[in-house]
Amino acid sequence: MEKIIEILINGLSTGAIYALLALGFVLIFKSTGIINFAQGELAMVGAFVCYSFAMLLNIPYVVAVVIALIIGALLGSVVDLLFFRRMVGEPMFSTIMVTVGLASIVTCTAGIIWGHDVHSIQSPFTNKTLLLGNLVVSQGTIYTIGLSVFLIAVFVLFFNRSLLGIAMKGTAEDPHTSGLMGIDVKKIYMLAWAIGTMVAVLAGIFLAEQSFVRLSMSHTGIKAMAAAILGGMESIGGAILGGVVIGVVEGLAANYLSGMELGNFHFGDIKDVTAFAIMIIVLMIRPHGIFGKKRVERV
Amino acid sequence: MAEKFKVSYREDMALFQTLWVKVWLGILIFLVLIAPTLLSRYQLSILIEMGIAVIGALGLNLLTGYTGQISLGHGAFLAIGAYTSGLLTGKLGVPFLLSLPLSGLMAAGLGLIVGVPSLRLKGLYLALGTLAFGFIVEYIIFHWDLTQGDMGMAVKRIRLGSFVLKTEKAYFYLVMIFVAGSLLCAKNLVRTKIGRCFVAIRDRDIAAEAMGIPLAKYKIMAFAISAFYGGIAGCLMAHYQRWIVPGSFDISLSIAYIAMIILGGLGSILGSVLGAILITGIPHWITYLTDVFKDTYPALSGLIVDFKLGIFGLIIVLTLLFEPQGLFGIYRRVKLYWKTWPYRY
Repeated sequence: MEKIIEILINGLSTGAIYALLALGFVLIFKSTGIINFAQGELAMVGAFVCYSFAMLLNIPYVVAVVIALIIGALLGSVVDLLFFRRMVGEPMFSTIMVTVGLASIVTCTAGIIWGHDVHSIQSPFTNKTLLLGNLVVSQGTIYTIGLSVFLIAVFVLFFNRSLLGIAMKGTAEDPHTSGLMGIDVKKIYMLAWAIGTMVAVLAGIFLAEQSFVRLSMSHTGIKAMAAAILGGMESIGGAILGGVVIGVVEGLAANYLSGMELGNFHFGDIKDVTAFAIMIIVLMIRPHGIFGKKRVERV
Repeated sequence: MAEKFKVSYREDMALFQTLWVKVWLGILIFLVLIAPTLLSRYQLSILIEMGIAVIGALGLNLLTGYTGQISLGHGAFLAIGAYTSGLLTGKLGVPFLLSLPLSGLMAAGLGLIVGVPSLRLKGLYLALGTLAFGFIVEYIIFHWDLTQGDMGMAVKRIRLGSFVLKTEKAYFYLVMIFVAGSLLCAKNLVRTKIGRCFVAIRDRDIAAEAMGIPLAKYKIMAFAISAFYGGIAGCLMAHYQRWIVPGSFDISLSIAYIAMIILGGLGSILGSVLGAILITGIPHWITYLTDVFKDTYPALSGLIVDFKLGIFGLIIVLTLLFEPQGLFGIYRRVKLYWKTWPYRY
């Protein structure tokens, strides 16, 4: 019983990270209509920047996180300025492909700057545990879950209550009409990219704190995409639910399926593909996700 | 006038539209025939690699360029083709001529598992589905004893009857025959009803459906054909390299194929060929360049692997931003310019 609860809590904390990444993803999709395949790569860069400041330059952890967040926001704006401002109105194919290309450019640059080694970040929460009754839970896990819940609440409020959030929603719905209504569409797009990247960077830092900083952590971005698909691409609540479900299922699979053998096939590292299997199943059964709406299109 | 006017259906349907096309093709075939006597083994091996890439890129262009469906898992189809043929010829002793189409069919069949559900939907769903499919295929190859995972698997040489292909020269001719065959098939496919249906679906799928084109049927057909081409390319690659590891069929291979068709030109047979040749050539050119600078900057050669993927990404982005029609578009523009020179449209 305790083992299950422990797995669930750890799954929740991984799920919170996926939810954050998926949130950034949905945020960019909702306001600009671009599906960002480079989300995981941006998170990876954020983690590396935080690592460089905190571990190599010995700047206090919290300050390093803030610096990484600011750099993330700048990076997002630059990406929008350089690539996507020119792509407004282009078909979805081109924008998707540009983000795919961007992902490999970012990975290549990060590989040249930081190399292929595996690093770890020492945060104030590392190796500290908390006792909840008989359960041993690491402090990092609790902070990750708590901060994610807080951020998600902030975003839901932002999109539903603030003028800027409503302007972003409106731009996503119809850029031309929002432009006529006095919304600065270019600014909204840039802001969406900046905030989306910032959220990705934060998720990357949390992820680094739970495991390691390395190039291959960018695959998490695709898992987050699975979360967004599971929840329904346009729904913030859906992204969160999808992230948590995938995190928990992944934890369960890693605990109960890993090491199993089926004939001459063995399920090592099943964690790496659980999200993808879920994604394919969702595509088969309910492609619009849990909260997604079916769209009616006209010629 | 820039364009040649066609006055009969016969002319419009002709496979080779003008005399010049035939002449250039003749010269090209002649060059291919004499290439093995002129080139070194290393240069031939590059040409073989390019030929295999042309087959794979043609398949992807039929799906992405002509039908407008995005696939991010083309590398997985090559992997399935490679491993299917490797296992069939190695473990079961199936002759190559049978295992080659079987590897294509296997790629198409397994691809349909993810293709059929995703193709019911528009846009990004196939991209996501094929991406997930690519990761799962890589995972299965890694963890299955039959495929020997990380260690890699040995593949037999091609045996045609009692003749075993041993030299680069023999392999070069074989690959070129397959390249010619797949080019002919693709060219014929796109100028028949099926090809026109593909293009109609790409340009406006709802309008195409209203005109009486069954969307699901043609989308799935395009996907299966693309996977089949991928499987064939993978099979040829496996028998040529004779040692296959799962790591060589990962997402970066899929991105390389996307770079090929985008650089070459979406929805163009000539574009697929140009793109495949250039993208396959780039790593070799980088190696050549770094060899020159190796003495002055010794650290450079370690960065090639990093550079490769980054350059492919850069090519995709820059092409889409500045010349979405790719090299084929440039070629057409230059041709038009010189045809009407010194006047302009």
